[in-house]
Amino acid sequence: MYREKLELKDRVAIVTGAGRGLGKQMSLALAKAGAHVVAAARSQDQIEATAREVEALGQRALAQPTDVRDPASVDRLIQRCVQEFGRLDIMLSNAGIGDGLGAGKELWDVSDDEWHDTLEVNLSGTFYCARTAAQHMVQQGGGVIINVASGTALRGYAASFAYAAAKAGVISLTKSLAVMLVGRNIRVNCIIPGFVVQSPPADQQAADFIRQRGRFMPVQRLGEAWELGALAVFLASDASSYITGQGFVIDGGGLAGGYAPVGFAPEVHMA
Amino acid sequence: MMWENVKLGPEAFDLSGKRALVVGAASSAGRAIALALSEAGADVTVTSATPEAGEALAVKRLAEQIAETGRRREPQALDASSGTAVQDMVRQVVKDMGGLDILVTAPDLFLGKEAEKTDDVEWGRILNVNLSSVFYACRAAGPEMVKQGWGRIINVASAMGDRGLANGVAYCAAKAGVMNLTRALAQEWGAHGVTVNCIAPAWLEDSPGLGDPDPQANRLIRFIPMRRPGNADEVAPLALYLASEASGYVMGQTFFVDGGLLCHL
Repeated sequence: MYREKLELKDRVAIVTGAGRGLGKQMSLALAKAGAHVVAAARSQDQIEATAREVEALGQRALAQPTDVRDPASVDRLIQRCVQEFGRLDIMLSNAGIGDGLGAGKELWDVSDDEWHDTLEVNLSGTFYCARTAAQHMVQQGGGVIINVASGTALRGYAASFAYAAAKAGVISLTKSLAVMLVGRNIRVNCIIPGFVVQSPPADQQAADFIRQRGRFMPVQRLGEAWELGALAVFLASDASSYITGQGFVIDGGGLAGGYAPVGFAPEVHMA
Repeated sequence: MMWENVKLGPEAFDLSGKRALVVGAASSAGRAIALALSEAGADVTVTSATPEAGEALAVKRLAEQIAETGRRREPQALDASSGTAVQDMVRQVVKDMGGLDILVTAPDLFLGKEAEKTDDVEWGRILNVNLSSVFYACRAAGPEMVKQGWGRIINVASAMGDRGLANGVAYCAAKAGVMNLTRALAQEWGAHGVTVNCIAPAWLEDSPGLGDPDPQANRLIRFIPMRRPGNADEVAPLALYLASEASGYVMGQTFFVDGGLLCHL
């Protein structure tokens, strides 16, 4: 009675940023729970690989190249999904860019474009996906939207303040959309990861680096991308039927502490 | 080791072989969680939170229900507001079950009363049953889990631990205490494979203080975005996730099961 609530048999999910890392692992987890998956990202090769892995798990898959910064591309994504599968049950907006786009720069060295691009891909992309997905979900009587934010949104993140600001926007958007869409049987929640490693370390040096960083977390390690899979399944399924507008932090305990900083020691720029 | 023991599919929620203790299992959420843990394969012992007769009976019935499909374990009548009683009970349960992997605390005693009319005894009682008992249970169970290098502690608090509720000052303070107790414990046992988290339900169908569950009749319900109270069966699956091998990176957090209530302006 309880475990069957965690099943996603024949539900259809779109996952953005599905080519690698968190998005790929969440796609596979949804597939293992019974869902069919539309894998979306800019890189065709990567999403085709994800789609093949979904099919190897016995589910149907589609790879749809998508740039979430472009509303027309997002519309095409959802259209293709509905065309191919006849429905859309789960919109998982995971596409985002972390360190890049001005990260690590002094405040006054960050350009207009770097600021706008960070907001576009991380926040606007999530809005575009929700806007189009929700319309279909209303027509079919319900659905689930899952956004992906970041623990940096809940604190100050000097290394990439634009990223943190955009992700904070995602958390807020999640709450507003939850209230807007609840009457149409659409639940909206977000996953808030802390430091999570995208893929197994390529060599011993990378493994050592990860282990060193992990010492600062209460659980004494960094997270691994596959660990978001079960959480995505929980939020996508009826197991979370009374949960909406919420953020689910998965960060090894760092945000729950705070008297002394954990994670990366912040670089303090003296004037 | 990294990327070992990857649990990506339904096997992630399998609790076969796990030994669980639910303290305060007569509460709505406690009961549903105990049943869910048992259904997922865990060996479950249930206890009351107070020595009150009605509670003892409810816990006895729950143990019988669990024994129908799961393992038969003696239900424990417990005054959870006594640190010694809790310590002794946990010691005995660990002996009987051969160890302890999952602790759920779910005592729930509500008091609806204006602050100035809440006397010392009432204040103390609400804090004892809702907060102290949680500390006592965690203090007893934590070291057992640390010893074996794996554990899951799930404290059931309330959404009213994150907001104020008029005429509920003692309850609100106690439940808020549980949330930060959870964060503090998370900073102590993480090195040993033990996670500590909190579930905070808002209005459930049988919540005291809700009144008439009919949305037409009840002024409170129209403030819930989902326009209905939750069911304890909608709380239990979250406990399954938090009790599982798949949630090892979830730590020191409180998760609200509230029908959108906390997003309402």
